[in-house]
Amino acid sequence: MSTTSHEVAQGPHHNSGAAPTALSAHSIDKKFPGVLANDSVDFDVRAGEVHTLLGENGAGKSTLAAVLCGLYQPDAGYLMRNGKRINLSSPRAGLHHGIAMVHQHFRLVERFTVSENVILGSRDLPFRLNRRELNEKVAAVAESYGLPIEPDATVGDLSVGQRQRVEIVKALYQGAEILLLDEPTAVLVPTEVEKLFENVHAMTAAGKSIVFISHKLGEVVEISDRVTVLRNGRVTGHVSGRGTADTKELARLMVGRDIELNAQRATHATGHEVLQIRNLSLSINNVSVLNDISFNVHAGEMVGIAGVAGNGQRELADTIAGLVSPTTGSVTISGAMTTDCGPIQAREVGLAYVPEDRLGMGLVPSMSILDNLLLTRDRQTVVDRVSVRPEAARLIEQFEIKANGPDHLARKLSGGNAQKVLLARELSGGRGATKLLVVCSPTRGLDVGAIETVRRLLNDARSAGQAILLISEDLDEVLSLSDRVLVLYRGAVVHETPGETAQLSQVGAAMAGLASDGHA
Amino acid sequence: MMRIPFRVVFEQRGETPRRLSLLVPIASVLAALCFGAIFLLATGYSPIDTYSNMFRDGFASFNGITDTLALSTVLICTGISAAFAFQMNLYNIGGEGQLYLGLIGGAWAGIALGDHLPTLIMVPIVLLCGALAGAAWIFVPALVRSRLGTSEIVSTLLLTYIAASLIKHVIYTPGSFFRNPNTSFPQGRMVADSASLDSFGSSRLYPTFFVALIIAGALYWVVRRTEFGYRIKVISDSPRAAHYAGINARRTTMWVMLISGALSGLAGAMLIVGPYGKIEPSIITLGYGYAGIVVAALARNNLGLIIVSGILFSGLRVGGNNLQVTTSTPIHIGVMLQGAILLFALGGEAFRRYHIHVVRTHVAPAKKALS
Ligand SMILES: Nc1ncnc2c1ncn2[C@@H]1O[C@H](COP(=O)(O)OP(=O)(O)O)[C@@H](O)[C@H]1O
Ligand SMILES: [Mg+2]
Repeated sequence: MSTTSHEVAQGPHHNSGAAPTALSAHSIDKKFPGVLANDSVDFDVRAGEVHTLLGENGAGKSTLAAVLCGLYQPDAGYLMRNGKRINLSSPRAGLHHGIAMVHQHFRLVERFTVSENVILGSRDLPFRLNRRELNEKVAAVAESYGLPIEPDATVGDLSVGQRQRVEIVKALYQGAEILLLDEPTAVLVPTEVEKLFENVHAMTAAGKSIVFISHKLGEVVEISDRVTVLRNGRVTGHVSGRGTADTKELARLMVGRDIELNAQRATHATGHEVLQIRNLSLSINNVSVLNDISFNVHAGEMVGIAGVAGNGQRELADTIAGLVSPTTGSVTISGAMTTDCGPIQAREVGLAYVPEDRLGMGLVPSMSILDNLLLTRDRQTVVDRVSVRPEAARLIEQFEIKANGPDHLARKLSGGNAQKVLLARELSGGRGATKLLVVCSPTRGLDVGAIETVRRLLNDARSAGQAILLISEDLDEVLSLSDRVLVLYRGAVVHETPGETAQLSQVGAAMAGLASDGHA
Repeated sequence: MMRIPFRVVFEQRGETPRRLSLLVPIASVLAALCFGAIFLLATGYSPIDTYSNMFRDGFASFNGITDTLALSTVLICTGISAAFAFQMNLYNIGGEGQLYLGLIGGAWAGIALGDHLPTLIMVPIVLLCGALAGAAWIFVPALVRSRLGTSEIVSTLLLTYIAASLIKHVIYTPGSFFRNPNTSFPQGRMVADSASLDSFGSSRLYPTFFVALIIAGALYWVVRRTEFGYRIKVISDSPRAAHYAGINARRTTMWVMLISGALSGLAGAMLIVGPYGKIEPSIITLGYGYAGIVVAALARNNLGLIIVSGILFSGLRVGGNNLQVTTSTPIHIGVMLQGAILLFALGGEAFRRYHIHVVRTHVAPAKKALS
């Protein structure tokens, strides 16, 4: 494989290299048992710029960021801050040099308030906190970068986007000059991403440096002044210039080959109704979650459900899958009424369900791939693993799952491979031939290579005549794959449109609760 | 402020090396022995002599090894009772009380059925009654745990105190069914002859030892190979995945706890058909049920390893108990060692889970932060 450093068109830089280098890393090596996560990586970030680290899952982005902020010590190589060599023995030392990281998985105490979380870990706190003064200080820092937060709110009550804001404010409050944002958009919905990008601009305008980590090409092109691409721990290329980078080129540097992201819609006649939902309503603790939903999905058809997270998508999927009993209404799969019948009976008439939470719900982390394949199947009193083993090996090959074999533990799989195991199981039929496939956020958090595979698998399943209900917050995905699009808002279907002629603006408006037509 | 120039770093291990899985329990026992040695030295006893006496009395003599295996019969049962529940994150720490009930249930069958049936039928009935009594004792904790999620730790522990009172009650109450009517001194009434097994030769080892081995092996197989074991694994690791797959967690929880209680009850009944032949009120001072928790911890809830840890632990206990007879070392050293073993076995987990190493921290001349 060619890993030579690849210099792409040196585009115009907005302050044309005048800004001094704030932090640089030189020939960083970092080994983990069995992998070289960083292999002589050079990286630098200037004051007031956004420098993006782009790479697939496992490329070594988080590892490099951890080295830059002092969380990991490199096995070789060194760091320089404002031209002087520094040695970071801990994140505290990093903070001392003005370097802070906002981790992929937030590190907040849910029971504490925003302010308490912000000062968590600070030294030199007075014995008795003056809360009012503290809240004012925290609010002031937040305001100055356009990050509105309520200092007295309990973090446990905040949305994911707000929590991320708390992490950023915390870093700024601690005096960070260089912020490392590890996949900040992975957890955000489109409007929150826009908000985050505004914050990023406010921070760079104030002279802060941002190291932005992502594997999503579109947003990388939008936000970055410079991009460094990592693959298998090595730098495979640099691209400069905001908005000028070519996504195809970036994708090639990232994956190492050309890829096709836009899976084409399969346009062919659809068959009989496989899923019928009639007047489905669900209340949890007297709060209405689903409100009088009715629709059908036909054999060979993919129906997409768009909507902002938390508008009833998960509950709808769980109800169809028999995990939740609706308050009123009915679910019929392949002509059999499955309301209140439980997941096993729903599966017996042809349901397959890929939940959003792969390792929390769809797979058992401490079990092998083989045992996970048995999860939704009919198991004899004495579990027969011997006869399933060849099938497991075949599925691993067919779905291109990177694993040591059927005994590979699920928790040791990367996100994309875990998703492939889940799809392999659900698509290969368990208790009966699969007729209806319910998939939630199938490509969330996956890298481009895996996204391509997963979308192809879904299209293949549709071509094979399965009815597919695709529930996703990724609007592009829903619009590009679905034959029909329904928009869910506050538990009700507020908009319906054929996938081919769907208007982004109309669907977007419906998602925001501004639907004019139809079902509401 | 003074800074220590190094730092201990805990790095989570992806996978525990096989070598360590074996090394850690052995090291825990050795560490506990060293720990005990400090106290022996401080009180003027020779650790070497004490330990070699313990080893001889626990393992290296005919009486020693047979007594050890006899005790392990009980501890293997209470050990798998604890481990079977623990592996599903159900903390039945009331094995002690369930064992008392096993004693009562077994004695009841042994007395009430009289001397009519052959031993080959009578003994299994006594064992079964003991097991059922143990299961009955955990029934309420199991029910509220599986239905309401009430902590089984508290409920099973509290029931142990009630079980201890029950033992005293049935022995010390005049005219009690379980009390020997022929003596004025409070004693248990002997079960029928047909409900008593003979020990091997001159030893105090009973055939129930093999029953314990078979049960340990059978449960090991159940957990690894059957649908029931599969469900236990799914529920213990991911309750949401169990819900997703339509696995009934309540029912499985109920069964696991009942089986755990039955195993402790069985341990009690094994004492009835074996060495006791009656309810011995001194059982409440022996802590066989609690010892099962240590045995389970030492084997890290691995049902296959319980046999090894049960025998090892029994040997230490037998050797420790004999100390007072053969030397004048206080018996408490044995008790202390048991506690130390549990402590070190649990502490040893840290070595299995984490890669622990010491790094030198670079003591840089204090530089002012960029303000
Ligand atoms: N703490 C760790 N221990 C062992 N291996 C690790 C650890 N952190 C990362 N790795 C491995 O290093 C490689 C790079 O990981 P990471 O930096 O997290 O990638 P990215 O953030 O680009 O997805 C992966 O193969 C990953 O499995
Ligand atoms: Mg990462």
